[in-house]
Amino acid sequence: MRYLASGTKYDSCNQSAVCHAFAPDGRCIQLYKTLLTNYCSGECTYCPNRCERDTPRVSLSPEEIVKITWSFYRRNAIEGLFLSSGVIGDAENTSEKQLEVARKLRAQGFQGYIHMRLMPGTPKYLLEEIADVANKFGVNAETTSSINYSEVCPNFDYSNDVLQRLKWTKELIIEKRKEVGYGGRIIGANDTQFVVGAASESDREIVRTVDKFMDKYDLRRPYFMSFDPVPDTPLEHNAPSPQWREVRLYQTSYLLKDYGLKAKDLDEIYTDTGFLKDRDPKILLAQCNPEMFPIDVNNASLQELLLVPGIGPVSASRIIQARPFNCEQELARMGVVITRARPYIKIKGRCQTNLSAFMEACS
Amino acid sequence: MFLIIGFRTTVEGVLLACLKLRQLPDAHLMYAEGLEELRRMIDFAGVERDIELVGFEPAPITDLAESAFGKHWDRHVSFSRRKEPDPIHYIDLVLRHANCEPSELVRTLSSSENVTSLYSGKTQLQKRCYRYMREVSLSYHRLCMFARPSFVKGILTADIKPEHRIEDMFCRWLAKKNPDLPVAVVHGDKAWIGNGDFFGLDRFVVVTPSFLGDLAAIKISDEVEQLWDVYYDSQMIDSRRNKKQAKKFQPKAASSVSGMSMKDRYKVERGISPCKLGDFFEM
Repeated sequence: MRYLASGTKYDSCNQSAVCHAFAPDGRCIQLYKTLLTNYCSGECTYCPNRCERDTPRVSLSPEEIVKITWSFYRRNAIEGLFLSSGVIGDAENTSEKQLEVARKLRAQGFQGYIHMRLMPGTPKYLLEEIADVANKFGVNAETTSSINYSEVCPNFDYSNDVLQRLKWTKELIIEKRKEVGYGGRIIGANDTQFVVGAASESDREIVRTVDKFMDKYDLRRPYFMSFDPVPDTPLEHNAPSPQWREVRLYQTSYLLKDYGLKAKDLDEIYTDTGFLKDRDPKILLAQCNPEMFPIDVNNASLQELLLVPGIGPVSASRIIQARPFNCEQELARMGVVITRARPYIKIKGRCQTNLSAFMEACS
Repeated sequence: MFLIIGFRTTVEGVLLACLKLRQLPDAHLMYAEGLEELRRMIDFAGVERDIELVGFEPAPITDLAESAFGKHWDRHVSFSRRKEPDPIHYIDLVLRHANCEPSELVRTLSSSENVTSLYSGKTQLQKRCYRYMREVSLSYHRLCMFARPSFVKGILTADIKPEHRIEDMFCRWLAKKNPDLPVAVVHGDKAWIGNGDFFGLDRFVVVTPSFLGDLAAIKISDEVEQLWDVYYDSQMIDSRRNKKQAKKFQPKAASSVSGMSMKDRYKVERGISPCKLGDFFEM
């Protein structure tokens, strides 16, 4: 169990505690995240489980995973299972084993959340069966293009094994959501994961790919896993991706997901080489567009409010509902982070004096 | 006319008092959990003015909510994707807060022109009620996440010490999560039993913990804690830990909810020791 659980730690996004998800009621829930096996026929260059690597190989039987999941679930340590695996022979065989775990759990009355990480190349008929029992399922894109993908995952084909599967999962999610209806089983949105820093793609490319996936495959939330060199792999001498890069990519993806921005709106925030700086992308975006500020909170549209640092989607909607405002304290009660927002807002004609305004007044 | 509105501290009572206060904005408010208690308070205060008692008879809550907040009272209020509870659930949550002052809540509701002002009110009173609602909700969510029930005589039992009055909410949640087992939530000298039909009781009942001890059932061994430690420790890459984020997921305030969550919080703060007593003996 220790080996297989630790096999998943490398794709634990934003290393904090054990794997988390969010329930529909907004609660944060813990998941038991494990591999079915760390035997793998793949030769992914960054992966600790690649077939050529000399490492102890172990497997858990479906019955064992079911037993551990129940034990944790009863103690309320988890509310669901996140099941991934190394590729045992081929994708079909692996997915069948994964499906067996989920089926056994459901047959025993398990009502918790099941997230299945699919293998690239999983056949469509198995995807359909997985969609019947799992709450969430998705395939990892890992990188942004076929060329990069063939570099890091030489055994799989990007357009067929990944993009085609993303298209199928999107269709299945729509179908299943219609089937279960409101109040039925939760069917999570399409998701995928990128390994940041294993291939040479820039952040601009990653953000554009995320944007494209959101449009094309209804991707809701991308996950980013920083590349960390694993000994005895072809990339063992590469530098690890800095942790802040993953954080900034998450922040940028939220600008696409929750703020209604498109990848092209963010072109100004990258360095010349297309990488993000270690600063809040929303503040950078505001600083790149000084002509847009300060905005009057009592007249601004939702889109304008969303561009103000310190105002998120929740506080922006509240501001629209509760206008007009007379002072900063009232705005603070709406959840606005005043220290961040102050340079960019105007209330009843009053705004923070900046250097250019001061110089203008002096002249 | 100078009047006192006496109301019961239930959702119905609060809604009725709110409607009454809108008709008589100068009225004073008194409240109690039961009629007897309110009468005692009135006698003690020696009040001789007109007193209107509301909320002590059953009343249709949804009709009251419609009268108070209009036809569309139950339309989901959501800011961005955060779905807020409807006004009935909102009042219920505020009333469960340890510092809740029901007459303040009634005044807030009576001054709220529409439903959305409950969630985005600009006045201090509105904001305080909203904060109470969020705090109770958060406290409940934390219990759901960090309480670790264990089997006591075959009953999945959680011993909790919540700061707000949410024991029954948590019991219902635990019973729903484990529909195939009897569950119990113990707080001080009271215990809430869920799925009580396994013992021929009502589905949800409040009993004393000693009564709980009398309910004989099979003993199930519990070695999950050690297994959890193995799993938890296996998930960390020390060099890549995001301590700030980890602290958010494992807040200090929730570490006292259970022994397991306290241990997890300790690991967040101090890291996972690479050297254990067992390693010493293996050497």
